[in-house]
Amino acid sequence: MLRILLINDTPKKVGRLKSALVEAGFEVVDESGLTIDLPERVEAVRPDVVLIDTESPGRDVMEQVVLVTRDQPRPIVMFTDEHDPQVMRQAIQSGVSAYIVEGIQTERLQPILDVAMARFESDQALRAQLQARDAQLAERKRIELAKGLLMKMKSCNEEDAYTLMRRQAMSRQQKLIQVAEQIIAMHDMLGG
Amino acid sequence: MIDSNTPRSDALAWVAGSDAPEKSALNLGFMALTDSASLIVAATQGFAQPYGLSLNLQRQTSWAGLRDRLLSGELDAAQMLYGQVYGVHLGLGGPATELAILMGLCQNGQAINLSQPLMQAGVTTAEALAARVRQNGAKLTLAQTFPTGTHAMWLYYWLAAQGIHPLEDVNTVVVPPSQMVAHLRAARIDGFCAGGPWGALAVEEGQGFTLATSQDIWADHPEKVLGVTREFVEHYPNTARALTMAVLEASRFIDESEENRRGTAQLISSRDYVDAPLSAIQPRFLGQYEDGLGHAWLDAHPLRFFADGEVNMPWLSDGIWFLTQFRRWGLLKDDPDYLAIARRIHQLEIYRSAAEALGIAVPEAQMRRSTLLDGSVWDGSDPAGYARSFAIHARTDGPAAVNL
Repeated sequence: MLRILLINDTPKKVGRLKSALVEAGFEVVDESGLTIDLPERVEAVRPDVVLIDTESPGRDVMEQVVLVTRDQPRPIVMFTDEHDPQVMRQAIQSGVSAYIVEGIQTERLQPILDVAMARFESDQALRAQLQARDAQLAERKRIELAKGLLMKMKSCNEEDAYTLMRRQAMSRQQKLIQVAEQIIAMHDMLGG
Repeated sequence: MIDSNTPRSDALAWVAGSDAPEKSALNLGFMALTDSASLIVAATQGFAQPYGLSLNLQRQTSWAGLRDRLLSGELDAAQMLYGQVYGVHLGLGGPATELAILMGLCQNGQAINLSQPLMQAGVTTAEALAARVRQNGAKLTLAQTFPTGTHAMWLYYWLAAQGIHPLEDVNTVVVPPSQMVAHLRAARIDGFCAGGPWGALAVEEGQGFTLATSQDIWADHPEKVLGVTREFVEHYPNTARALTMAVLEASRFIDESEENRRGTAQLISSRDYVDAPLSAIQPRFLGQYEDGLGHAWLDAHPLRFFADGEVNMPWLSDGIWFLTQFRRWGLLKDDPDYLAIARRIHQLEIYRSAAEALGIAVPEAQMRRSTLLDGSVWDGSDPAGYARSFAIHARTDGPAAVNL
């Protein structure tokens, strides 16, 4: 069963939404009047989905939640009482997974939340791939830098510099990037 | 209500060139074995980054566990036993899942080892073992590493060549390679066939001796391969090619000089990889054998990773040989379409394009010719006939074959 953290600091319409969610079979953890404690509550409740009002002052806090829970992020779903495509578009681009318009029928909640979860997962996978790619590009640049420094220091060619670095790494049971960092650090210390 | 055209997917499209890998971070499964060296070197020594890949090494504790994680997608690619790939592909002992071989990882370097008690009883030669087996009394228990794997096939082949029926005259059991020495010490097994360093470690610890090397059975035999699912190849063709190139370059690097081989042995002995003493890994890695009976020699066909690509070419005849042995030992009830299965599994196009991009010669022929220790010649040309050519076998022909 999906556990939903309902951020309830604009009570005007949450009453109906909450009962609709409970009716649809979700476990709803209702939080009202909090702002400052939000990151801790997200950590404690570990919801599958965070549901929050577009008008909620807690939205600023959600920005913080997104940062705090970077390692274990949660999909965030917004609800609103008006259908404004522009607002939705912006919210989705900033990382919100789906949108619920107030007054929606109970039976439509499940598919929307399913889509939110699926979308969130694919976003996360994409993000992880991008991060891996960034890390790998960064690693490659550091290795290139160290290789260049070594070529100057030892007056050797590229091939020889790589071989020297690899032999050093293997004899210490290290990765090439670790030896590259050591070479760069040593070079910095000796004043380039 | 959902906008699929997010800035993130645009950014990804921008980073990726036309033949850039579709998936850049790969989980790579390996076992604690000397012959996983090329994967360890590829992942840690900067061979993958230039192709836009980062390889996360994931050590596995058993071949069955490795297979399960590859099939579930937890692993993207893995070191696999040649015969294991075929066994999974055909669904021998489990549901069939189509697999693919990207390249060969190594040749040679496995060994059949017997226990210290057998040595003390004078069972130190093939003839003495055959005589011991023919005596009345408890059957010997010999371990291999996976039912359809290479070690099962080397053990069966070698025993049969000595006149010992592997499925009738001895008990065979499956034990993960890194646990062989402990099982030998506990006298739960009388011998085992596995990859390094476990034979050398048995010798070093005084728990056993090496009776035969796998290269005695077949000089330059196929052994481990780089395996992925067929689905992986179809979804991520550029990734498969990039991975093949990274591992090919690492293989070339290891075999380039003795110094590189020594360094590689040092690297892989680490707790994170093979986790065994360097003294058990390095000598055989350099071809220096001691059998534990006082014989030492420089082997003419030691473990090798490259040999100008001869090791890495996924020869169709190498794969088909395992099918002939499955047939010989009754794992296949009928003759399969040997060539079609091998053609489906071996990704020759990906291998060719990866090797040629690195200036590694790719032979036109897809079969090679070898002579095994019993004098049988294998060239891939008549698999059904070859499978029927052995006096010792456990073939159970289907009804159609009987009617012939």
